[in-house]
Parts: sequence; structure tokens; C-alpha cells
Amino acid sequence: MDNINLEKEQQLADILSSDFTRLDAKVVRERRVEAVLKSNDIIPSVLLFAKDKLGYIHFSHMSCVDWLEEGEFEVIYILWNPEEKINLLIKVRTDRDNATLPNIDYIWRQANTYERELREMYGIEFPGLIAAKEFILEDWQGMPPMRRDFKTKEYVDDHFFHRPGREDAQDVRETIANRSGEEIPEFAKKFSRK
Amino acid sequence: MREETTTIYLGPQHPGITGNMMIKLQVKGDTVMKAETHIGYLHRGFEKLMERRNWLQSFTIVCRICVPEPDPNEENYSRAVEEIEGREVPERAKYIRVMVLELARIASYLLWYGGQNGSAGLYTMGQWSVGDRNYILDLFEELTGGRVYHMYIWPGGVRRDLPEGFADKVLKTMDYLEKRLDEYDKLMFENSIFQKRAQGVGIIDPAKAIEWGVVGPPLRGCGIQSDVRKDDPYEVYDKLDFEVPKIEGQSDVWARALVRRFEIRESIKIIRQVIEKMPTGEVYNKVPNPMKWIVPKGDAYVKTESARGEFGYYMVSDGSDKPRRVHVKGPAYVHGISLLENLLVGENIADVSFIMNSLGTCPPEMER
Repeated sequence: MDNINLEKEQQLADILSSDFTRLDAKVVRERRVEAVLKSNDIIPSVLLFAKDKLGYIHFSHMSCVDWLEEGEFEVIYILWNPEEKINLLIKVRTDRDNATLPNIDYIWRQANTYERELREMYGIEFPGLIAAKEFILEDWQGMPPMRRDFKTKEYVDDHFFHRPGREDAQDVRETIANRSGEEIPEFAKKFSRK
Repeated sequence: MREETTTIYLGPQHPGITGNMMIKLQVKGDTVMKAETHIGYLHRGFEKLMERRNWLQSFTIVCRICVPEPDPNEENYSRAVEEIEGREVPERAKYIRVMVLELARIASYLLWYGGQNGSAGLYTMGQWSVGDRNYILDLFEELTGGRVYHMYIWPGGVRRDLPEGFADKVLKTMDYLEKRLDEYDKLMFENSIFQKRAQGVGIIDPAKAIEWGVVGPPLRGCGIQSDVRKDDPYEVYDKLDFEVPKIEGQSDVWARALVRRFEIRESIKIIRQVIEKMPTGEVYNKVPNPMKWIVPKGDAYVKTESARGEFGYYMVSDGSDKPRRVHVKGPAYVHGISLLENLLVGENIADVSFIMNSLGTCPPEMER
């Protein structure tokens, strides 16, 4: 492990940090570099710079993490440089209320579906999105379902009915306990539905 | 002749793919003018489910993301957890993991042989290859207890060591398969019907392929030698000798078939090396009690070369007993939506399923 040369990775982190003042870049490990943006409006310029000047031409994917307690979404763009063999993770945060990020589907066309997915699943808007129609959730109203405060159980109870004849099978542990007369062990109680 | 276009809904059930997905086609005569992928028929909410389950419970559902080849999911999940935790994996377990991943790759390619030929109307090939795939499923059954879903590669290593005499059985199966591959060549690659159907169909522009997010066999079919096992080695792939195919040609369905034909033989080569080089020792670095297992705060991005291309997991832990977020990036997300929609334009309607199969389109990993 000690012999790993991280020169290429450090070079990339240095270039990014020196060219963008509102960006912190660091080497995570061999072939992984992370850049944290302190401002949302530089996303397209950082991505275009990485693509056109640094050779990060392959857009692997983008993802979102809901930091509910902090009131923020963290969006991650993952790029790959096929020459240098390095994955660059670009992270940015936005407020959960009125979450809006710059659109990037003119830089990589496959980003379009990721952005449409994040819009439906988290409610993040990307103004200027090409073909900004529904992607997976058709006619969905209400809170985007991948948000952490989405109440899955309540949604199911409101929208669907439980199949009749299965009332006693709602909680397997309890059903077994009732039928056998055995006590549910203490450690398992917290997993019970009631 | 009328110049109107007709709308055809292909799917959600059709022979082009494993799983349910619909393509809305605008056709003029029998030429596709526009294609639009519609997904949502298979959404099982894996990523949401994982946020509500502890680390070991989440592990048991990741293999279900891909039916033909579940093992890259298990391996990715395990490696991401291990990277966040800094958990060491015994050397023997790494070799066993590679063996399982390569067996899964062969099984997946054998299933692809069936699908690719079936969508061209050549059903004999599918019956042969799916029959032979069963020999690999037999091996999985003996090793893991399951034929399709294995839950064998788990955080810390693998679930148990190889049974007695298992390595010999694997080698015998590989010898058998190698002989069968020559017969497959006669039935498929020397078959003029397959040649005429596959050549010049579904051409990807090699100059744009990397930028469009193409990975795996479709990318290698463009003549680009890109393979995660070489570019970002994991487990013990850097200690093994194997080649990535260099395909010269048109980057069409035929080129992608040649990639898979080449790679089955390379996988057999890898499995033989793994069995020869496998050290003795432990196979599992035990994780704590699953009910009390806390993974420290952090994130990791790991990727595996699956039979359909790069499979990536982005995992975040907030220092609790459940994952904060697990994002699954399957190769089909790009292949089945943005690439396919562009590739189908101008093609014959009879080639739609054929092209989909050559890209390895798999809806479960688009919807997760």
C-alpha cells in the first residue's frame, strides 16, 4: 500500500484547486479524486473544464444524497478519464427548499435522464432541461418519493388497500408469537410494526 | 404510398430483453423514425429500501437488481462497505470472488447467446447455450445453495470456503464448455443468416462512444480496449493474465458478438489461473453482530466490469446501522435509454429487439 504513487491524482487536485477559487479538491485514494464546490453556479464551468481541458470525457453518472437534518441535498457528478484512468467525483450542495441546480445535459446528453430522474425522485429543478417531460413517475403529485421525509407507510395506507384475509399476517413475528404463545425476544421488539 | 408514420408500442414484454420495458416507435413503412424508451414497469425501489434496512439486510436485496448476473452487485456492495470501513479481505476470498464473477460472466454470456439468436429466429443456439449455462448454475448451487441469486460474496470476504473437490468440478466444466464453444462458432458465427442480420446493424459512432457513456462489450465493439478489470483493477485482476479484445470493424451487432465470443474464452482462462494460484487460508474477515453493525461515516465509489459493462456503486454512510444512500449505476441505464433511442433511428423494425439484445439492455438496473 505504501508504494502507491499518487502523483497524477495530486496533480489533478492541484490544477482544480488553483483554477477555481470556490472549489476544494483532494485525493481520496489511487484513481479517485474528489472536488467539493462551494458554489452552484460554477458547476457547468467546472464540468466543461474537466471535459475539454483535462480529458474527463466520460460522464459515468450523477447521484443525490438527502441530508435532511442539514436541510441540504448533495449532488455528485462522477466523471472518468480514459487516458489517465482516474475517477473524478464532483460534489455540490443545494438547499432542500426550492432546490435548483444548473442544467448540464448540453455537455453530456446522457445526463438528461439522470437530471429528469433527480427532478422526479428528489424535486431538484434543472432549468433548461431538454425534453423535460415525465420520466418514471407518471402523474405523480405530492412529495418526491426519494426524499427522506417521504412517509412510505402512510402513502401505502392512503393509496392502496390491504388484501382481505391477511389481517393476521401483518407482522410475522407477532403472528408466530400469538399462535405459539412464545414471547418476542427483547432485541427483536424494535423491528415489530406496532 | 402514404407518407404517414405509425406508432407502435413494443413491450413491456418482448424478446429483446430480460425484464419489462416499453419502446414507443414511430415507423414509416418498416423503418424506425423515432424511438422513445418508457421504463417504470419493474420499479422495486431497491435504493429506497436500502435506506430503511441495516447493512446486512441491504446486502440480501442487491443481488436482485440483476437476474442474469447478480454477482457484480454483491461484489460492488461488499467492496464499497469494505472501502468505507477499511476492512481487509483475506487473499483467498479475493481469488474465490474472481472465480465467482467470471463464472457469472460466462453464465450471462451463455444467456445472451440465447437472446441474441432468439431475436433473429435462430432458436437452436439458445437451447444449446441455456442448457450449458445450467452446468454453471449447478456449480453455483453446490457452492452457494442458490442457482440464480447467490448472496455469497459478502462484506468481509465470501460466505464459506469451496466444498471438497469443487475446483476439479469447475475445471471439468470449463473443459467441457471450451469444446462447446467451437460448436457454437459453427452454429452462430459461421451461420450466414446470423452474419447477414448482424453485420452493418446498430452501428455506434466510435468517436463519440466514450462521451455518450457507452461501456462494456458495446464500447469494446467500437475498437476501444476499455475494461474496468484492466483500467481500475479490483480484487486480484492485476495479478492475472488475460486480454481485452481489439475488434476491427464496424462497431455493429456483429462486432459486439465477437467481443463476447472472445471474452468467454478469456474468462475460462482466468478461472483456470485463479484455481491454480489460489492460496490457502481464511475466506472471511468477520463483521460485527449484524444487528449492531455500525459503518463509520464516509463515502465510496466502486465499480466492476460486469458482462454488460461497468457496474458502479456510490455508497454513503452517515455513521449509523443503515446506509444513508446507495446509488446503483448499471450499464443499461445509458445503453437502454439515450443510446438505444438514438441507435434505433433509421433501422428496420425487425432489428429493434436484435439491437437491444446486443447492447445488453436490462430494465431492473435502470429503475433500481
